Amino acid sequence: MSLIVLEDVSKLYGFGGATTIALEEVSLSVEPGEFVAIMGPSGSGKSTLLHIVGLLDRPTNGLYKLNGKSVERLRHNQRTRARRKQIGFVFQSFNLINNLTVLENVALPMAYRGFTRGRRLKQASAILDRVGLAEREYFFPRHLSGGEAQRVAIARALINNPDIIIADEPTGNLDSGSSRLVMELLRELNKGGTTVLLVTHNPELTRYANRVVFMRDGTIVNDEKTAFGNIPLNAQALFFRPKKTAEDDIIGVSALMKALPTKPSIRKASKAKKAKPKKFKASGRTKAKK
Amino acid sequence: MFSNNMKLAMQSLKAAKWRSFLTMLGVIIGVFSVVSIVSIGVGIRQQITNQIKQLGADLITVLPGENISTSPSSLLKQVSILPQLGTGSLNQSDLTLVGSTPGVNVAVPMSTITGTVSIDGNNYNNAQVIATTSDFPSIVNKNVQYGQFFQNGDIDPNEAIVGQNVAIQLFKENIPIGKSFQIRDRTFTVEGVFGQFNTSPLSPISDYNNTIFIPYNIGQSMSGNQTQIYEIFAKPNHVDQTSQVASAVNTRLLKAHGGQNNFTVLEQKQNLAIANNTLNTLTALIAAVAAVSLVVGGIGIMNIMLVSVMERTREIGVRKAVGGTNRQILTQFLIEAAMLSLTGGIIGVILSLLADIIIRYYTTLQPTITLPIVLLALGISLLAGVLFGAMPAFKAARKDPVDSLRHE
Repeated sequence: MSLIVLEDVSKLYGFGGATTIALEEVSLSVEPGEFVAIMGPSGSGKSTLLHIVGLLDRPTNGLYKLNGKSVERLRHNQRTRARRKQIGFVFQSFNLINNLTVLENVALPMAYRGFTRGRRLKQASAILDRVGLAEREYFFPRHLSGGEAQRVAIARALINNPDIIIADEPTGNLDSGSSRLVMELLRELNKGGTTVLLVTHNPELTRYANRVVFMRDGTIVNDEKTAFGNIPLNAQALFFRPKKTAEDDIIGVSALMKALPTKPSIRKASKAKKAKPKKFKASGRTKAKK
Repeated sequence: MFSNNMKLAMQSLKAAKWRSFLTMLGVIIGVFSVVSIVSIGVGIRQQITNQIKQLGADLITVLPGENISTSPSSLLKQVSILPQLGTGSLNQSDLTLVGSTPGVNVAVPMSTITGTVSIDGNNYNNAQVIATTSDFPSIVNKNVQYGQFFQNGDIDPNEAIVGQNVAIQLFKENIPIGKSFQIRDRTFTVEGVFGQFNTSPLSPISDYNNTIFIPYNIGQSMSGNQTQIYEIFAKPNHVDQTSQVASAVNTRLLKAHGGQNNFTVLEQKQNLAIANNTLNTLTALIAAVAAVSLVVGGIGIMNIMLVSVMERTREIGVRKAVGGTNRQILTQFLIEAAMLSLTGGIIGVILSLLADIIIRYYTTLQPTITLPIVLLALGISLLAGVLFGAMPAFKAARKDPVDSLRHE
C-alpha cells in the first residue's frame, strides 16, 4: 500500500481575478521507504506540495490518502495529531526555538504528545547522540554552527519516530561539508525505512534520492526513478551541458528546466556532451506515475 | 507541558526585562495600592479593637457637636468630622449631669489646657495637657506604671502625670519622677508615668502617650473657671447596661441643651463604626483607582502579548508543525500573560510589605498584611492576566501554520 497518495490535487490562492494556481491537478504516489527529491524553479509549487503532504495545508480540490486513510477532510486537531505522529519536518532555516536548549528543542514534539519531561529529555538525548550532537545538549541554538543546527532540527523531526521526513531545502543555508553530513544523515534514516521527501535546488543532492520529481508551474513535469548514488538523467543533462552564456553558468533548477526535452537546443547540448539520456519520455507536462 | 510553558514564560519575561517590567507596572501599582491601603485599614481596625479592649467595651464617650447621625436600621448613618473642628464644648454642668445619670458609675472630664510646656526655657510642643480627675486611670483601665496618679482629697496642686512618649521626649528618660516643667509659668512636678497606651488613628480617643495630665481643679483655675471640656468619659455600673445608660445620658443632655443636638454620645462599638466608615470610604476610593490601574495594566499586557505573538509568528508555525494543537498554543500564551500579570502582582505585594515596614517605622500606624489580602490581590492579578491575555492567545492559536512558517 502506498504511504502517500495524491490524486488530482489542486491548490488555489486568492479569489476572482487574483486567483493563483499553486498546484494544478497533481497526482503523486510515494511508497514506504522511498527517498523522493522534488526539484523545480521558485514558484513551481514544491513547497505547497510539501505543506499539503505534511498536513500543514489543505488542498482546494483532489484526494489525499496518508497510510491508506483519506485526510483532506480531517478536522484541525485530528490533522495535528496525525502530523505529529507520522511526519517530521526539516526546514531550510532550521527553525529552532531560540530560548530553548538543544535538548528541549528536540524534545518539543514529545511534549505536545503529553510525555513526561523525564521521558522526553531521555529520548531527546538518545536521538541527539544518534545525530552526533550528544555534547551539544545544553547549548542554545545561537551557539551552534549551521550544520549542527540542521542536525538538531533533524533530531527533532525524528523524535516521534515518524513514517515520513519532509525536508524543505535542508542544505540551502549550509556549506558543502555540512550539506554532505546532513544528506548522509537523511540517507541513513531512509535506509532505516523512513520515507524522505526532499525539496532541493541542487541537482547534485539528487544522488541521495531514488526518485526525482520535477515540478513547474504547479504541475509535475517529470517523475524519474534512479539508483542511489546516481544523478538522474535530466540532472546530468544540465550538469554536463557546455557553458555558453552567463545564464548557463547558473547551476540550478532554473537552468535545469531548460534541459527538458521540450527545448531542442538543450537536447542538442546534451547530445554534444554525450550524456546520452535514454529515457526522455516526458513530452510537455506529464502526470506522475501512480 | 504546563511546567514547560511556565519555564518558557519565565524565559520570555527574562529575555525582555525592561519591557516586561514596564508592562507589569500597571498591575504593580494596582496591587501595591490595594494591598497597602487594605493593610493599613486592617491595622487601624486592629488598633481600635485593641484600644477598645483596653478601655473596656462599656466606655461611653460624650463629645461636643453632632459628629454622627444614626438611623434605626443601622449603627451609623453619617459621620462628620466638622463639628470637632468647631468651637463648641461641654461644660461643668454637662459633666455633673452625666455623672448623675442613673446607672452611671463614674464620669470623668477631659479638659484641654492651652499653653506651651517648657523646661528651663526650652519649649516642647508635642504634648497635649489634659486636666482630669482622679478616676481617669480606672475609667481607661490603665494604672500608672511608675509613681501614682493624683488621689481624691489628697491632690498636690503642682502634681502632674505624664505619658510614656512625653517622659522619653521631654525628659529624655523613662522614669522622670520628681522632674519639673512649666506650663504658663506654673511649675509642675512629675509624680507618675503611665505605661504604653494602645493608640489608634481615626478614633476620638486621644493618644495618651503624648499627654501630660494635671488635676482638674488646677486646670479650672488656670482657665479662669471657664473650663472647656472636650470629652467626658463615663462608665455604667454594669457592662450590659452600656446602651441603656448611653441612651439615658443622651436624653438628659438633649433636655439640658434645650433640644439642641449639639453633642454626641458614643459607645465603643460606635467608635469602631466611625473608623470603619472612614476606612470603607477610603478603601472604596483606592479600590476604584486600583481597578483603573489594573485595567490599564491589563491593556498593557494585552498590547505586549499582541506584539509578542507577532514577533513569534514563526515560532508559532514551528510549534504547530511539530505537533502543537491550537489549544496547546493558546495555553502557552495564556500562561505567559498570566505569569506576566502574576509576577506584577507578586512585585506589588513585596512593595507593599516594604511600604508597611516603612509606615510602621515612621508613623503610629500599624499596617497588617493578611494572607487573604495577599491571595486576593494575586488572584485578581492572575485573573487580569488571563482575561487580557485571552485575545492575543486566541490570535496565536488561530494562526495558519503555513503563513506563520513563511513569516520573516
